[in-house]
Amino acid sequence: MDYLATKYLRPRKIPSTACSGCGLGQAHKKVVKAIDELGLGIGDVIWGTGIGCAGRQTFNTWKGDNFAGTHGRAYAIATGLRMALAPDKKIIMTVGDGDAFGIGFLHLLNCARRNVGMTVIVLDNLGYQSTGGQYGWTTPRGYRTDSSPYGMREPNWTQEGRDVLNILREAGATFLARYTSLQGQEAVEAIKKAIMNNGFSLVHMPYPCVTNFAERALGTRKPVEIYKWFGEHTCSMHEKGPDDFAFRTGIYHDASNSRPEFSEYMKTWVAEIQRRYS
Amino acid sequence: MRRTLDTGNAAITEGAIIAGCRLFAGYPITPATEIAENMSRRLPQVGGYYVQAEDEMTALHICIGGSLGGLKTMTATSGPGFILYADPMGWALGSEIPLVVVNAQRVGPVSGITGAPGQGEFYMSRYPTQGGNYETIVLAPNSVQEAFSITVEAFYLAERFRMPVIILADQLVTDGWESLSIPETPEEVEAMGLKVIPRRINEGPEFYPATDEIDIPPVVLGHNTDAACSDWTPTPEGYDTEEVDFQHKHAYRLIYKVRNHKDLITRYESYFVDDNPDLILVAYGSPSRVVISAVKQAREKGLKVGALRLISLWPFPDEIFKVPAKYLSVELNYDGQLVREVQRAMPKGSEVHFFGKCGELPTVAELEEMMQALLAGKEIKARNWEWEAW
Repeated sequence: MDYLATKYLRPRKIPSTACSGCGLGQAHKKVVKAIDELGLGIGDVIWGTGIGCAGRQTFNTWKGDNFAGTHGRAYAIATGLRMALAPDKKIIMTVGDGDAFGIGFLHLLNCARRNVGMTVIVLDNLGYQSTGGQYGWTTPRGYRTDSSPYGMREPNWTQEGRDVLNILREAGATFLARYTSLQGQEAVEAIKKAIMNNGFSLVHMPYPCVTNFAERALGTRKPVEIYKWFGEHTCSMHEKGPDDFAFRTGIYHDASNSRPEFSEYMKTWVAEIQRRYS
Repeated sequence: MRRTLDTGNAAITEGAIIAGCRLFAGYPITPATEIAENMSRRLPQVGGYYVQAEDEMTALHICIGGSLGGLKTMTATSGPGFILYADPMGWALGSEIPLVVVNAQRVGPVSGITGAPGQGEFYMSRYPTQGGNYETIVLAPNSVQEAFSITVEAFYLAERFRMPVIILADQLVTDGWESLSIPETPEEVEAMGLKVIPRRINEGPEFYPATDEIDIPPVVLGHNTDAACSDWTPTPEGYDTEEVDFQHKHAYRLIYKVRNHKDLITRYESYFVDDNPDLILVAYGSPSRVVISAVKQAREKGLKVGALRLISLWPFPDEIFKVPAKYLSVELNYDGQLVREVQRAMPKGSEVHFFGKCGELPTVAELEEMMQALLAGKEIKARNWEWEAW
């Protein structure tokens, strides 16, 4: 087995039950690699997950402490957990696009507003793939899914001038980046920066779904086709990219350690109140 | 001992602080807002945290997270917020998270009247989430002083049973002002018959054992125990599983840890039930205050009536319905909720009647009229929606 998996992941859960050709493992490995390169140990990280492909495939893979929230709620749970945890413990979460940008978006925004110390890695397979392949909030316009048989017609969070990362920046997030799972060390470096930010960090990481997304959208389950499609639609955040749709990648916002982290701020404030009223 | 005049909301706040609550997440809602306000003032003084959540669903999730990190936590709301707890409540019951939830019931459905008492979440406190395969612990105070002591007890039971405990109060108990004695030392707490136990940490590797035993420490993250907890059916180690055998064991634990230790939970008061009364009134919460007054007055007038005042509602205390008699359930709703359980629990040879009020308390005179009619064997005519024979 991979040396990173042997060092950090539970043998009972690795390899995962992900479909053959799934890009989730690439993304998962990047997170573990970033943790390793930062020199963090098993006891330094609390690993959180949500529901769906990203949640189910990464839950309890970490050799240390793990939790999985109900759909979309892991961020709210992490807010309470952050209040109780020692400051040196890192909360790292691998969640799906539906979890973060759909059902849990309210919680995500409020975590950004409060600047709660957590690193959220959104493993985005461009829709609801574990339920068979329905469109989601990052599915490109016009593409076929099981719930958009005539092409996805709803405005999404990533096209036509909207970018979910801009919303999160306005909400107060202190580190934001986007890289696809196909990209290399630059993505690992971004995850490392995200983890080292003492505040709310989010890395948006689209990855290829061979079984459902590719089959409906591209008409094939040949992994090479969806990987090729990903490559063709990936560009730098400074470029316009292809006309129809692009994963515009890079570090969107790095205001690391520029705002007080929520739980630390609260602890300092509570200590001040106690001093005043003792 | 500090003696004061205050509300049920203040009593719940002080009870929580004495029980060791150090994180409260809530959302303002009448008639539970003052719990949040009091907590925001009191918690920082004792080194605790108040977080105002973006909605009630978030509030309970933050409490779950805090409890998972080792803090004792509480949230408080009324009916319209209680329904938003459905999602996190399932998580807390399934993952066995100790915490306390307060519902100051107001009249409904939906937003109803904010400042009027109700008892509409009797069944919802038994079934507060989906999926089944669990029992709940629900306690119902009927005074400011009891709101204090029940809050301390709720935290105690939450730790021992490692699960959420629901305090089902009502607007008159939480908003009402009464005298309140607050213990100031551990000795005074003990003298009031109250117990406080600290949070313990499950060292693993069996975090979810298939047993009905209580006093098993809960999962606490951040202490190098390699713990796992999730919304999925767990193996004993906390791995998610789709094997139905583990589901059987998990359901057994969630149900029977409560059922098999019901004696530690069940609390009630009985009045004049030892001489085989002809009629026994049953109530909980604020209407029980009127019921007790009415029954005492009726006894003075020679009516052979008694009363049962439920303090713990769930698991339902079937075993206290021993005497075959006419039973009258007095509730703050018109649809009749408690009465259904009384009907199920009554001994053979009993008959069950219902008297409901909607948004206001019954009066002693109304109850006396009802008692006279029932004792005379008169058929109770449905007076519009007010009275009904069951």
